[in-house]
Amino acid sequence: MAKKKFSLTAHSIKVLIKKELVGSLYGWGFYGAIFVSLIICSFILKNFIGGIREENILISSYPLNFPLFVSVIVVSLYLVIISAISISREREQGTLEVLFYGPVSSFSFTIGKYFKDIFLYLITLIFFAVYFFGVSSLTNLGFTYSLTKALALSIFWVSCVISFGLFISSLTGRVRNSIIWLIAILLAFLAIQFVHSIFLNFPEEALSSPLVYLRKTLYYISKGISWVSPFSYISRGMESIQIESMKLYLLNIAYCIVYSVIFLVLSVYILKLKGVRG
Amino acid sequence: MKKIILFIGIASILIFSLEGFAQQKPSFKPALREELVYGFSVFDGKSYSGGFIPETEDTIYLIAKHNNTLSAKKTLVYFWAITGKYMAGFKSLNEEVEGTLEVLKDGKVIKELTKEDNVLSFPEGYFGEKSLFYKGEEALEEFDKYKKTVENYYNEIKKYYEAQTEYRKKLNEFFEQIKKRREAGEEGALNIEVPKEPQPPKTPSFYVTEPKKDFILNLSVGKYQIRLRAKDETIVEGSEKNIMVFTSRRTGGIGYEITPGNRWTKKESCNDPAMIIYAAGENILYFRPYSQDEYNELYYNKLIDPQNEGREDNWKWVHTSPIKNVSLLFFGQNKVLEKIDKKPFYVKQISGPELGYNIIEYNEKDFPYQKPTFEGYQLNLSSQLKKTGYQIYMQKKDENTPLSKSERGIRLVRKENSQFLYYLSFLPLMVGAIVFIRKKIRAKA
Repeated sequence: MAKKKFSLTAHSIKVLIKKELVGSLYGWGFYGAIFVSLIICSFILKNFIGGIREENILISSYPLNFPLFVSVIVVSLYLVIISAISISREREQGTLEVLFYGPVSSFSFTIGKYFKDIFLYLITLIFFAVYFFGVSSLTNLGFTYSLTKALALSIFWVSCVISFGLFISSLTGRVRNSIIWLIAILLAFLAIQFVHSIFLNFPEEALSSPLVYLRKTLYYISKGISWVSPFSYISRGMESIQIESMKLYLLNIAYCIVYSVIFLVLSVYILKLKGVRG
Repeated sequence: MKKIILFIGIASILIFSLEGFAQQKPSFKPALREELVYGFSVFDGKSYSGGFIPETEDTIYLIAKHNNTLSAKKTLVYFWAITGKYMAGFKSLNEEVEGTLEVLKDGKVIKELTKEDNVLSFPEGYFGEKSLFYKGEEALEEFDKYKKTVENYYNEIKKYYEAQTEYRKKLNEFFEQIKKRREAGEEGALNIEVPKEPQPPKTPSFYVTEPKKDFILNLSVGKYQIRLRAKDETIVEGSEKNIMVFTSRRTGGIGYEITPGNRWTKKESCNDPAMIIYAAGENILYFRPYSQDEYNELYYNKLIDPQNEGREDNWKWVHTSPIKNVSLLFFGQNKVLEKIDKKPFYVKQISGPELGYNIIEYNEKDFPYQKPTFEGYQLNLSSQLKKTGYQIYMQKKDENTPLSKSERGIRLVRKENSQFLYYLSFLPLMVGAIVFIRKKIRAKA
């Protein structure tokens, strides 16, 4: 009985992934997001190469890693938005209710959505690899081992982003609300970390007492955000590659897996709790 | 007309008032105030740095598992607006505050320190980069050793001056003897022994500071507090400070200071192993390798001077000592292209209106009475080199294995191709178009 239930769940996940993946691949949004990310990369790299003057040197650590970081952020933004609206859209259109009358459960639905986005990113990764290989061949900037490590790690970063998006989507009943919530949360994360970063430039002695308390408060909030915001995992992962620490690299992968599992479990739980009509 | 007069009037008032402001000489007598400060001599990764910690700084930063000294003093402190830092007038007031230094962790006293003798020894001389710390009996012994060496040196000098006087006397006798015998009509070799000039003694090659008594702290990584307990068992006011003991994030690295041939005054650093040297055209580079450790920027800056600034989320490499007896290997196309040894170089200014310079290999013959401007490993990135990736690394002169963490990449960039980068970005759109067309064809079919 359990075996049959499992195979039914696996089958419904498979069907969901296929249907959704084909839908995304036939749309222009996916290619447009990659194109935008690569155009930004080209702009950054052209400026970098322009900075190396004839008869001069430029010392930099892995110049391809930063453009990759930017591209992953751009594509992640696309994926987090489509993840964030995926559940709420189905809920709003009523298709979720129809699906749940069949063999689809909240678990198989969430997992299906998650893996669809992961597969989309794996396809994106092929574009990234081809692009960076092309850049390296053309300019000799070097397709380094660290870039390969960053490309591999990016799968786990994106996993965090997708699960976070699905979590937001499970919380909201409408597409508009999902997008507003997502943007508001991400902007709040960004604003807190930005203000904290500005405070870090001032020595504590130069600040008045209320500002010192504000700085300390922001420090603790930022610490919390660095574990909740999916984008923090990208910068942390980049640092582990920068300092060439295999231990930190593997630890980062482990963190990403734990993060994804927690948010997926929460999404399934909330979806179950709120029901198909929200 | 009225408007013109009004305008001139206002302008004159403004000009005179501005002049008045400008003429106001700043009465720059900083306010002195007596306060308890800690004088310190701390291990900074390569040697020892000294300074003081004013009352405004509540945290002292130290490197773990190294001896550091602290001493509580009463002095006059003033704020120096030009540097934006507090300064201490130790010449006016320098009063040692006696007592026992208590070290606390999590509110519990873990150490009670009394003052101990300590010295700093500079094995490469006073201006040498290396310094060693000695405490207790060892410190006194080290200072005695230095004192004896200096005494011996002065005795030797005394003997040298006596020998010089004797030598001059003998030299005069020698010339007089020659003169006499020549006047007597002797010809050819005279066979008179030439007096030997005495050689001055060598100055002591090391230096040891005078012993002083301080609290010596040697702590492991963590947060601590200190306070000074006076003889009457009370806590000395203003003596409570936090101690942040830290260590390096990465150790035993090798960093390079690179002097580009076309601008030798503007040196570049290639400290992080992740750093790659990108070059576009012909270039001559001079490398100087150093051992290095990586520290938190804020902690390290505060260690050197507690009033310094820095960011807690940044890291910095600190050169600890120059690497000696090594060769630089230039590797590329699966073989060692060049093995380079360290050489001295002299920077010769070009006279005339061109205003430039040449970097020439130094030798004493060509540059008598001159010292080399710098020493380094010269790498010529000639225009003949294929535009691909290369590597440099250091190798011990008597070994064949590269020094760990000394590898750095050098990439000769093809700048001319950078214009094609934008075309590569269109790849996803092209694939998208193909998918879209296929979908349309399928739908029609």
